[in-house]
Amino acid sequence: MASTAACEPIEESLKLSGKKSFAGIPEATFVEDVDAYMKDREGVESILRQLDEQHGKYKFMELNLLARKKKLKSQIPDIQKSLDMIQVLEAKRKTNEQIETHFLLSDLLYSRAVIEPTDKVCLWLGANVMLEYTLEDAKALLEKNHETAMKNLAQVHHDLDFLRDQMTTTEVNMARLYNWDVKRRQALNAK
Amino acid sequence: MASVAVSKDSLESDSDIHITLEDQQKINRFARHNAKWEELREDLKNKKGDLQNLEDASDDLLLVDDESAPIPFVVGEVFVHFNMEDAKEKLEEAKDKVKKDIEAIEAECTNIKTLMSDLKTQLYAKFGNSINLEAEEE
Repeated sequence: MASTAACEPIEESLKLSGKKSFAGIPEATFVEDVDAYMKDREGVESILRQLDEQHGKYKFMELNLLARKKKLKSQIPDIQKSLDMIQVLEAKRKTNEQIETHFLLSDLLYSRAVIEPTDKVCLWLGANVMLEYTLEDAKALLEKNHETAMKNLAQVHHDLDFLRDQMTTTEVNMARLYNWDVKRRQALNAK
Repeated sequence: MASVAVSKDSLESDSDIHITLEDQQKINRFARHNAKWEELREDLKNKKGDLQNLEDASDDLLLVDDESAPIPFVVGEVFVHFNMEDAKEKLEEAKDKVKKDIEAIEAECTNIKTLMSDLKTQLYAKFGNSINLEAEEE
């Protein structure tokens, strides 16, 4: 069918951009010519309903992706802060100074603490696991996490873009179909 | 999210304004850029807030008389005590970083706006009143 063939170029050009295709997002077929599209189909209402359902599904997927994006976006500054802290520790270790800090005990309670120059840090890995690392290893690990998080964020953005495209295409299809139907009814009534 | 609405006034334009695949792709591209632009605007607002906080902090620092008092500086979730000089340096570093980020975001905003106005001219030329490409101003 002409319309699906026309959609292939898009997928080709997107594949050429080197990114893998989109996590289970069905592609919306673009309707090139409404007349030809409707020629073998009856029941404009049912088609409109189908398209509407598709649009609803896309919206749902968008919500998922947006939630994932938000989580990633909040992880990245946390990793950045830990990296900053390691840098400070490294700098102090070089000068062999003690670090005086106000330490967070709970949200509203801080306590004074003195930290000796050290080269070991403990990293919280999640799932109630905390491991001790040297400063260098900790820095390497955090930097790797940072990179992974950025990569995942880029992937989510990519998927979101594709999803939005499909949504817009579906919306435009619905509008054109509806108008085509209105025109058809007018033509019928005029006869 | 801003919406792109395509409506055809079927009473006036009987010449079926035919939407080709290329047009659809242009519309899609426009929608993408628009979404990205709004996100950048949000980021820019946050960064400008950060910069303002840092400026206020460095102003307050100037008011401190006692040169030897340690200044607790936020790193992550703890406050690390620095002397006046180090604290000033850290503040300057943080400010520079935020300023650089703001510049990058603003550059991208301008870039996207150019692309968008380009697409707008093309699409308005083809569809005239049948298409609405304005962002919903809040």
